[in-house]
Amino acid sequence: MSALPASGALTAAAERVTFDSLLWISACLALTLLVGIAALPIWVTLTVAASAGLRLFQAARGHDAPPRSIRLGLAVLAIGLLFLQFRTFNGLSAGTALLSLIAGLKILETRTRRDIYVITMIIYFLSLAALLEGESFWLFIYLIAVCWLTTSTLLRLTSSARNSDWRGSLRHAGRILAQALPLAVAFWLFFPRFGGPLWQMPDSGSNATSGLSDSMSPGDITNLAMSDEVAFRVRFKAGSDTPPPQERYWRGPVLHDFDGHAWRRTESAPVLTPGLRFQGPAYRYTVSLEPSQHNWIFVLDWPSRWDAERAYLTSDYMLMEPNPLSQPIDVAATSYSHVQAAQPLGPGMRRRDTRLPAGRNPRSLQLAQELRNAHPDDPGYIDAVLAMFHSEAFFYTLTPPRLAADPVDGFLFDTKRGFCGHYASAFATLMRAAGIPARVVTGYQGGTYNRFADYWILRQSDAHAWDEVWMEGRGWVRIDPTAAIAPERVEHGLNDIVTADAPQFSRWQQRTPWFADLRLRLDALRLLWRERILRFDQSSQERLLELLHIPEPDGQKVALVLAACLILGMTWLTWQVRRELKISPRDPLQRAYERLCRRLRSVGCERMPSEGPEAYAARVSHLRPDLGAPVMALCREYSTLRYGAGATVDAAAAGGAAAAAGASDAKRFSAAVRRFRPRGSRGSS
Amino acid sequence: MNGVRQAALKRLTTWSARRHGRDALPMIVNRRRIYIIPTRFGIALALLLVAMLIAGLNYNSNLGLAFGFLMVSLALVAMHHCHRNLLNLSVDAIVEVDAFAGDHASFEILLRNEAGIDRCDLEIRMDLAEGRGAGGVFTALVSVAARGYQHGTVSVPVARRGVTRLERFELRTRYPFGWFRAWTYVQSPLTAFVAPRPGGERALPSASAALGTAAQSEIRGDEDFAGLRAYEAGVPLKHMAWKVLARGGEPAVRSYTGPAAEPEWLDWAMLHPLRDEARLSQLCRWVLLSESAQRTYGLRIPGTEIAPSRGAGHRSACLRALARYPS
Repeated sequence: MSALPASGALTAAAERVTFDSLLWISACLALTLLVGIAALPIWVTLTVAASAGLRLFQAARGHDAPPRSIRLGLAVLAIGLLFLQFRTFNGLSAGTALLSLIAGLKILETRTRRDIYVITMIIYFLSLAALLEGESFWLFIYLIAVCWLTTSTLLRLTSSARNSDWRGSLRHAGRILAQALPLAVAFWLFFPRFGGPLWQMPDSGSNATSGLSDSMSPGDITNLAMSDEVAFRVRFKAGSDTPPPQERYWRGPVLHDFDGHAWRRTESAPVLTPGLRFQGPAYRYTVSLEPSQHNWIFVLDWPSRWDAERAYLTSDYMLMEPNPLSQPIDVAATSYSHVQAAQPLGPGMRRRDTRLPAGRNPRSLQLAQELRNAHPDDPGYIDAVLAMFHSEAFFYTLTPPRLAADPVDGFLFDTKRGFCGHYASAFATLMRAAGIPARVVTGYQGGTYNRFADYWILRQSDAHAWDEVWMEGRGWVRIDPTAAIAPERVEHGLNDIVTADAPQFSRWQQRTPWFADLRLRLDALRLLWRERILRFDQSSQERLLELLHIPEPDGQKVALVLAACLILGMTWLTWQVRRELKISPRDPLQRAYERLCRRLRSVGCERMPSEGPEAYAARVSHLRPDLGAPVMALCREYSTLRYGAGATVDAAAAGGAAAAAGASDAKRFSAAVRRFRPRGSRGSS
Repeated sequence: MNGVRQAALKRLTTWSARRHGRDALPMIVNRRRIYIIPTRFGIALALLLVAMLIAGLNYNSNLGLAFGFLMVSLALVAMHHCHRNLLNLSVDAIVEVDAFAGDHASFEILLRNEAGIDRCDLEIRMDLAEGRGAGGVFTALVSVAARGYQHGTVSVPVARRGVTRLERFELRTRYPFGWFRAWTYVQSPLTAFVAPRPGGERALPSASAALGTAAQSEIRGDEDFAGLRAYEAGVPLKHMAWKVLARGGEPAVRSYTGPAAEPEWLDWAMLHPLRDEARLSQLCRWVLLSESAQRTYGLRIPGTEIAPSRGAGHRSACLRALARYPS
């Protein structure tokens, strides 16, 4: 309670940061940086750790921050290095790295409360940046917890909390955070959303692609088959059929160019949809894609309509997004199981899809020649090739042998063991060798049905490759040579047939139904989080308003509801905060006695202000002899509890057991008073 | 910028003074008199929050928005908590305090908290820019527990003799997170009577007189036991008749007779050749000496005469008369 002049050296001492606050803020910063540590340049992490460690070490020995010249030099050096590395400070990853670095250097120079405030603000912003990138539920919870911790650190800067334990400040900050929660929910639900970004930001740092790529060499898909990672989820619209297994082909990159080893996709210009006549049942569904850093959107064969505004269909029926998918997106689409081309194949396309590299896979070309001689018509030739796969000793395996220079030859004539990629590649080669336009299509096939939430999960292990051949009069026809070898692959999915090749863990999963169920349930929760929280948008707000029985919801009404919620929220907050200010209820004993006096007054025996309980009881029994005995007993008990031995004047002031005993006595007395119901008045008795 | 701030604050204080008038102590801080503004950290946070929300909207990130809105709500709740930290607090003060020139005047502010919540980090601020002491702002930081009370002492250095009057003081808080600053003015004047610094070398007039006449029983007065009289408040403990009390009798006091019982006049006129302030210093020292020697004394300065007596109240009256001189 020392008096301090507000200016000068004494105030600076009061504003000086304690070791405790330094430790807390360093911990908060470390927890925040932990989220993005993988994306951060390693030297930034090391610099931050070193400067925090140095500062803490110094503070523990009572030293102040290092001199200004050192700090300034260090800052200039570090930020210069960072710029050299990123070439920009714009964008999420560079900005995050810069902020992390600044926070670390700030810790090094922390002297006063002001520095701590700067660091807390950086922590808040870094948490937000992490949430812009990641969308996991646990990340969100984790960052809220970090925010809580950071806010508690702010609380510990106040003098009264400085000496108290950390539990107290955590509890208090937690209470304030809990009070903020309802208001935050109202804001979030009804704050107007805009469809797209206000302005385009440079793309985020992580460019690691996942899933299928735009090239396929034998063995590529084998690698994917080991991965349990989710590629996308599909929910079929209510009222739409679910396609049978042999039609669940999710179309991805279409590959045209074969170099004898790998199939590639050379960029084909966005050609407007060639005329197709859609036939068969229509399937309406929503694909929820995970970020793949690729441009394509997986849709069911053959897409006719989609709701992604900027997406376009290429001439080979790939649905493409102009920018790589760095965020999860949802696309609603409609597909038809069968199509018929309206126009013949153009000469350019035909040339492209019958081209084979010169001098590669000679044995295959010779085989094609022989078969072609036997089957001059296209359907007959195709059937013959498929029959060859079926009748000869070809095996479908997840672990095919490695192949040498001419993989198609090696596969067809030597190893005869392959995965879907091998079959698709060999089949397309044989088709092209016979002059039939053919291309390889990669994508996903099958999927796992989640019966707990009615949707399909397509994992990387569902990746597949098949072929499309041009048949005169019909157009492109899907032919899956794998189905000729292992029809189960198409009917039931990969896991059932290659169990023997699969790793131990997935085999165990296969045999443990409850574990599979648990995974499905968790995945259902993930989808719920995604559909309800991550994809919450203007139309969700309008549906919400409909639930509130507000007719014709639109953006304006959403804003009005927001305003109403805020007024309500602030009123609630005011009430909530002031409620605790109420003069605290006196002890229960006193209240019970007052109730007794009120009841007696209502029957005409008011207590005089000067009257003690015993004197009052005596007078009451004089006025109302019928009430005498109970009133006497109650009043005597009251005075014993209040003034007798072991009485606690203020139950809250007494500690531990004494308070507990006092409380139970008071409760007993209070119950006795409640039971006491005098009737009639003095006049009527 | 600072000038604008100062001017705005001055306008606010005068406006608030006009608005509330003079407060009677004890005063309960009500809703209407609490002002609240964001601190510079609060303003920085607001800018940060706007940036966070724009980022959340731009990236179309619902989680980012959720986090941003949580922070916005947190700030709003913190504002309420800051405001509440002062609300319904009962403020009392010792409105007149004594001090000596060159020393500190200790203004005591008593804060009573009837509510069931702790009031943390309350800053009592006194702005002495217009006062007669050394200028500046003087503060004390107190926390009041739930249903408790606490007093804060603001020590204000007073350089010169006289009456220092403070028209108002301020109660300020930045609790809980330092994003907001709530404050209230207590428009109740506090007065410090700054007595002269005790000084001068002259002995008490009676002592010099006694030395001059006879060396008989000069200080024996206290030892001349004259009997018991009834206890009255304010009697020195060493004069209590403890044995009587121990026997179960009424509290009694031993009374003495002696020359010390003769009133001593501390007279301005006795210090003829000295300058005014020197006379006042000497008189101040005499008052303190007489009081500590349990003498009965009176004070005579131009314009004021205080009848002989003794005790804390009398001493204070004499010192205040010295502080007030010449008015």
